[in-house]
Amino acid sequence: MTKRILCDIPLNRVEGDLEIRVALENNRVVDAWSSGTMFRGFENIMVGRGARDGLVITPRICGICSTTHLMAAARALDRIAGVTVPDNAIRLRNTALLAEHCQGDVRQSLLMFLPDFASAAYAEHPLYAEAVTRYTPLQGTRCIDAVRQTKTLLEIIAILGGQWPHSSFMVPGGVSYVPPLTELNQCRHILRHYRQWYERSVLGCTLTRWQQVQSASNLDAWLAESAAHRDSDTGFLLRFADRAGLRELGRGHGHFLSSGLPDMPAETAAGPYAFAAGFRDSTGRCQPFDQLQVAEHVAASWYADYPGGRHPSTGITEPYATGAEGKKYSWGKAPRYLDLPAETGPLAERIIGNDPLFLDLLQRDGVNLVMRQLARLTRPARLLPAMEIWLDEMIARPDQPYYTPVQHMPDGQGYGLIEAARGTLGHWVEIRDGRIARYQIITPTAWNGSPRDSMDVRGPWEEALIGTPIKDIGNPVEAGHVVRSFDPCLVCTVHVVGAGRLPLHC
Amino acid sequence: MASLYWLQCGGCGGDTMSFLGVDSPDLIELFDALDIRLLWHPSLSAISPAEHDALLARLLSGEEALDILVVEGAIIRGPANTGMFDARHGRPKKDLAAALAARANHIVAAGTCASFGGIGADDAIQATGLQFLKKEAGGLLGKDFRSRAGMPVINLAGCPCHAEVMAGALTALVAGQTLELDEFNRPLDWYGMTVHQGCTRNEYHEYRVEEWDFAQRGCLFFHMGCHGPLVDGPCNKLLWNGRSSKTRAGVPCFGCTDPSFPTASPFFETRNIEGVPIDLPKGMSRAHYLVYKGMAAAAAPERLKKRDTRI
Repeated sequence: MTKRILCDIPLNRVEGDLEIRVALENNRVVDAWSSGTMFRGFENIMVGRGARDGLVITPRICGICSTTHLMAAARALDRIAGVTVPDNAIRLRNTALLAEHCQGDVRQSLLMFLPDFASAAYAEHPLYAEAVTRYTPLQGTRCIDAVRQTKTLLEIIAILGGQWPHSSFMVPGGVSYVPPLTELNQCRHILRHYRQWYERSVLGCTLTRWQQVQSASNLDAWLAESAAHRDSDTGFLLRFADRAGLRELGRGHGHFLSSGLPDMPAETAAGPYAFAAGFRDSTGRCQPFDQLQVAEHVAASWYADYPGGRHPSTGITEPYATGAEGKKYSWGKAPRYLDLPAETGPLAERIIGNDPLFLDLLQRDGVNLVMRQLARLTRPARLLPAMEIWLDEMIARPDQPYYTPVQHMPDGQGYGLIEAARGTLGHWVEIRDGRIARYQIITPTAWNGSPRDSMDVRGPWEEALIGTPIKDIGNPVEAGHVVRSFDPCLVCTVHVVGAGRLPLHC
Repeated sequence: MASLYWLQCGGCGGDTMSFLGVDSPDLIELFDALDIRLLWHPSLSAISPAEHDALLARLLSGEEALDILVVEGAIIRGPANTGMFDARHGRPKKDLAAALAARANHIVAAGTCASFGGIGADDAIQATGLQFLKKEAGGLLGKDFRSRAGMPVINLAGCPCHAEVMAGALTALVAGQTLELDEFNRPLDWYGMTVHQGCTRNEYHEYRVEEWDFAQRGCLFFHMGCHGPLVDGPCNKLLWNGRSSKTRAGVPCFGCTDPSFPTASPFFETRNIEGVPIDLPKGMSRAHYLVYKGMAAAAAPERLKKRDTRI
């Protein structure tokens, strides 16, 4: 009989700490449990506070995507106030949001995902020495470059909104600041600098050349085409991953979710860069995104039980920490769409958006961790041009407003949905008597790292771990690749995070 | 060579993200200049879980010296003082923080959560700072705690902590310099001035040219809930990301460097009686304030009343 062992794997280089339990047979993962080790109780902290306080408190859920939480909070309040946000404010908000995405995508790839290739576990890999030179934390050439370059892009958010992280410059009705022309010009210079670095180092080619990569065979040809392509971070990811057999790993359920980037200015040339919204199941059937189809389950989560799932507008977050039933193992709830677990993030958005490259890769290779990471690393190639367009449009419209006055925040219910760096983020808010009566948040990592639901179905990265070979349980880099390919942000999982622990069995 | 262990507790990672943006020197140059050996940082380190466990064992046994412990995020004591809302390997992280603190020469609290409890200090998670719970000395380690070098926990408050403050504090500690601290153990070089100092809206404040709504140029103190004149911090001296500050960009200061952050009263509103703020600029007497601001408003130049002066 095959020996089955249970093993707890702590994972770092994710935002927050994560611990995952896997069951192994013949050194392969046959089952997995992802559980949050931290409960910060944000949703309960919000109740009773001032109507606009979500703009200050919720960015502080997450140091790496605070602007994204701010945008979700502001959009929920826009909806409650029933206000039309002026085009320039939408442009400013979107520019700041995508600046945060473009630093996050690169930092996660170069500082968190790729350093695994420099692990001693790959000492026999033909590209190991190169990986060490490039991605050793704080010493590798590419790590140093990423530290130095990514921070420059964030200066755009500071110019437009005061600081990064944790500003509150998006307010119901627009933004708090009317940037003068000269500051918009400064943003344009910063963006140009970052784009040139991204092209030179991360892609190894111009954005225009990259946009011509429209199929799996195009991608192979691109890699073969020049040393610059192969030496770029994108090229190295593909070269190393292929020789390590990583295209076989990290599959998952194959259901994808994206809430899109729904706020586009009425008048803009950036339309083609909009994020797609929708849900696509593993059979390839697509449907429009409808927030009413979202429900959270708590069967495996340390919260007071209720049957099935609840829509976040009626959600409750009542901690109930007990291991007595043996069924509950996470501070994370289990969000489901149409009662299905769904992967969210750059790959999901690309597939729902019918991107020819990623649809072709999906057809050829099936879902895997390499394409998930490739979607993230190359996403700025789509975002940077949109930012340029919005900045240029603001520069060309200095007399148009950035704010529609909201004299008074009325009572009401609203939601703000946004495609965050890591996927679909939603804030559901209820204001009563001028105070927050209910605040429920579902983060991308809540989707991707969810525990089992009330039908006992695994969450996306639990499922993606199945079949992963683990050569050395003391250094389980393979499990790290799978989970890190989702860009986990554990601090975001507000009522989750990390791994709730049962005794160590390894 | 100075060894540094960075522990993340109940926080958002924002102090790390802020610190990654440090400029002149940048992070790489700073660690090189100070000869800092980063033993562990949760977002950056690549050692295996087994190696990390072995490192912790060496630090806790004293086999390996720990020069600087940086703690980011609040110490979570809930539920019911067990600390199990924030666990590592099934054990409360608060115990690990205390054990590492007992071994460290210097302890730095990165940000308001680690300093004073911050987000969650009034809530079920029972968040506390390392040596303060809001304004009350004590916290996790107790008010009399001293590090191996004989220092209290250095509180680098702010949500997040400013990158240059972290870099400056590490530089001083490694150089063996003494940082002069205020009553909340925050270094006076950065917390001996109000956030208001250096705000480009100062002239509007001076003449009481008040703003009631966003996207304007006037002062945010009187109606928009700005804490700039009330709390200490270097935001408008150092600037953020080398570029600007919240108040310059029309966002009221929320007082995030103060031990009482986040206060219970709603943000974006100034508590007032008959139009006079209840909380007056630091050290100001009410009688003087009324006379001074009455005269100042009457003397306000037209260019300010018309919001002609740029910010």
